[in-house]
Amino acid sequence: MTRQPRLAAHFAPLLTSLAAVVAAMLLGGIFLAIRGKDPVAAFAMLFSRGLGTSYGISESLIRMAPLLIVSAGLVIALRAGVWNIGIDGQLLIGALFAGVTGSSLAGQIPPPLMWLAAALAGIIGGLLWALVPGLLRVRWGLNEIITTLMMNYVAINVTSWLVKGPVKDPSVVPPQTRLIPVELRLPKIPGTGVHIGLLVGLLAVILVTILFRHTVAGFMLDVLGRNRQAAIHAGMPVNRLTLLALLASGALAGLAGANDILGVKGLFQGNWNPGYGFAAFALVYLARLDSLWIIPFAWFLSFLSIGGEMMARPLNIPTYFVDMLEGLMLLCFAVATWFERLRSPYGRAEVEIGPANAGEPPGPAVRETAVGSAAGNIGGRR
Amino acid sequence: MAILTVAETETMNTKTSQQRNQKRALGRPRPDAPHTSAPSDSRLPTSDSRLPTRHSPLVQMRDISKRFGPVVANDRVSLDLWPGEIHAILGENGAGKTTLVNILSGMETPDSGTIRVEGAEVQIAAPANALRLGIGTVYQHFTLVPNLSILENVVLGAQRSLVLDLADARAQVATMLADFGLDLSPDTEIRHLALGQRQRIEIIKALYRGSRILLLDEPTSVLTPGEVASLLDLLRRLRDQGVAVVLITHKLGEALAVSDRVTILRGGRNAGELGPDALAEASRESVRHRIIEQMFGAPEAAGHPRPVRDGTGTPLLTLERISTASAPGSLALRGLSLALHRGEVFGIAGVDGNGQKELGEVIAGQRPVTTGRIVLEGKEITNRGVAAATRAGIAYVTDDRLQEGTVAALSVAENVALKAIGRKPFSNGFWLDRRAMEEAARRAIAAFDVKTPGPDTPIGRLSGGNIQKLLLARELALDPLVLVCNKPTHGLDLRTADVVAGILREQADAGKAVLLISSELDELLAISDRIGVMVDGELVAVLPRAEATLETLGDLMLGGQRRTHQVAG
Repeated sequence: MTRQPRLAAHFAPLLTSLAAVVAAMLLGGIFLAIRGKDPVAAFAMLFSRGLGTSYGISESLIRMAPLLIVSAGLVIALRAGVWNIGIDGQLLIGALFAGVTGSSLAGQIPPPLMWLAAALAGIIGGLLWALVPGLLRVRWGLNEIITTLMMNYVAINVTSWLVKGPVKDPSVVPPQTRLIPVELRLPKIPGTGVHIGLLVGLLAVILVTILFRHTVAGFMLDVLGRNRQAAIHAGMPVNRLTLLALLASGALAGLAGANDILGVKGLFQGNWNPGYGFAAFALVYLARLDSLWIIPFAWFLSFLSIGGEMMARPLNIPTYFVDMLEGLMLLCFAVATWFERLRSPYGRAEVEIGPANAGEPPGPAVRETAVGSAAGNIGGRR
Repeated sequence: MAILTVAETETMNTKTSQQRNQKRALGRPRPDAPHTSAPSDSRLPTSDSRLPTRHSPLVQMRDISKRFGPVVANDRVSLDLWPGEIHAILGENGAGKTTLVNILSGMETPDSGTIRVEGAEVQIAAPANALRLGIGTVYQHFTLVPNLSILENVVLGAQRSLVLDLADARAQVATMLADFGLDLSPDTEIRHLALGQRQRIEIIKALYRGSRILLLDEPTSVLTPGEVASLLDLLRRLRDQGVAVVLITHKLGEALAVSDRVTILRGGRNAGELGPDALAEASRESVRHRIIEQMFGAPEAAGHPRPVRDGTGTPLLTLERISTASAPGSLALRGLSLALHRGEVFGIAGVDGNGQKELGEVIAGQRPVTTGRIVLEGKEITNRGVAAATRAGIAYVTDDRLQEGTVAALSVAENVALKAIGRKPFSNGFWLDRRAMEEAARRAIAAFDVKTPGPDTPIGRLSGGNIQKLLLARELALDPLVLVCNKPTHGLDLRTADVVAGILREQADAGKAVLLISSELDELLAISDRIGVMVDGELVAVLPRAEATLETLGDLMLGGQRRTHQVAG
């Protein structure tokens, strides 16, 4: 094989994702027009504020950090065929753990040690929250889609109870943890207004890429996700791999929570729930479970949400508009993959590109029928 | 939807009104008429002057070509189907048989070529079009809904009205069931039926929709020998009633037993056709010879004459009173004991579903045993799991190549490395060595003559025979003491099957023990030293090769001798 077709094969699936993004923007524009807003002006403002102002650019990069970390974890779970819908809950618990640890150690020990301790606390928090569904799945075969989803609600209520009582900062009225002073938060990348969480996110994505391309564990997770029965047949430790996938994505979700506490917020507030989980699902699918492609899509979604916020107020458009755009992108992506299948020269033979465990768990598995077409190369196999 | 409509309009435009009437007459069985057997039945074309005679083909496929990416499945293939004939399509794996039939049934659309039904050119863009043209298909994997009744399944999709009218249909279906020798109520749920019965329901379903052309892809592969015989009888009767029956099969004997016409495909092209005259005139042996030559371009390879081992000495692998459950409360293996020696091929015969698959899985560590011990070279490996069994020296070639043996989207190289990925040379336990994986795949491709564009091709794109060779190569690369093979030649063409059987024999001769599970008695007789027969999870007999014949094995498989054993004490 020559270099040329390989390269083409690597880029072709992205065209589908890009088409989905464009289609979603068009549909969003139609929606705006129906509501009596000028879509051209709205998108012009979204781009000019999001891309054309230094505030927009650096805010987008700051928002990118947690998305990168969360998505890196989600890729591990989804490629192993494990549906971790509980990212948001794991993130909240991680953030709370990090907030409490960080604020109580702040000033006591050198800041780098405090950051490490808080990050570790965040990881442990996310890990613990993923451990419950993980054990339920491995021990009793309970569907992790249901359990991780439900654990989100438990997390919301547990954190809001903790922050109203046991770990509340007694010196203020609103329910929140003690503040980590601005000067003790994560440092900025030199020459920018962006804290080093972005580097952590990039590192996480790169590590996950290496995991799947070059390690035995990554290979086994991939096999498990694509054909569970084959993994059993090949003697792979299926239960341990399932648990590993869930714990890894939980840990990274917790780390993302710590990132926001240490880099942006400085404290955990009772009503805070950034909902990165859904955005991560959207971008991981747009990146077609290929970890490196997460980076541009994470940036794009961050830009959308920052630009959307910046556009919303002057134009009097609800900020939910951006959430709607994300939803439309997923919808358009699903439709676009269907078209992709029609064009496929290889007919009907089925190849799964994502979590698709035959029969169980009964999830919204994304299957594609395009053997060896560009879609067959999904997941950075080249 | 647009494609469908266009195709249909085209069909209708080219048809004369006479043909349209004819189609109506054929298209739907009349509730008051008997539907099979009687030659006077209006649905059946034999004696009706309006209907196509035996002197003009019902279907003419001309210069059909179909490519799947780089693979040419059909290259200007032509095929004529005549009413009242059984037409067998023979060919190696990948010769294009299934593709050709899929094109006729609307599952695939040809890249070029024409199809005429009753002289009128048609486009068959979807299975629904094929059904409207009277082309019915019985698939290898049945399409019945298990928890609906026979009646509901037959009527499913055939009724176009909003209100389901089962009263008329019930009488028809009951008549058809009786005609087909099925003593069943139309209200019986499909899940209670045996595979052979389900297949007949599939055929009834096709005929109920007015099919005059019946396509059967490997219909006998799921049947017991008795069911095969009665299916062939049924096909003969349908033929006598004027139905054009297309039979795809790997089994030459079956094809010759029923066919009036044989088309042979090789490499996606027509390689020969034998009409009724040619089939009737020549002797069975010379016809066989001719067909094999046309299929392969060379005479069949010779067998493997050899000394036979008698299964004495210290066993390499012993199973002691092994039991295992298939579902809660039902045992798939019942206290089975077995001793396997170095240098022997131990054949396991049996009708499918008598615990053979479970036997293989238990030895491979893939299925836990509830009681009993498995000992390999003095070391107990009972319930230690697949990884431990593999390390101890067990290799298991599964019969489920696609769902269990391979990961379709992963490359040939990755699939070849699948079972040993955590070890040298494919990894150091943590980091993968992709170059070693690729080298191993290249070696396997060369050693087993696997047809693939390269080691980085997704394995799902290969044909069944080539995947099977790779599976075998993978297990042999583990250098096992015991090789367990479940149906290693199932669905392979004769030549590939012969190669695979030869490899198994060589492995035994090289000092390994081979457990060969197969439903092909010929194959078992060809390479086994001893043959055990499994019935209902038990080994009811173990015969030395010298005492095993098709008849004795067949009798044991169907439980005849076992009963006398029990009576005797």
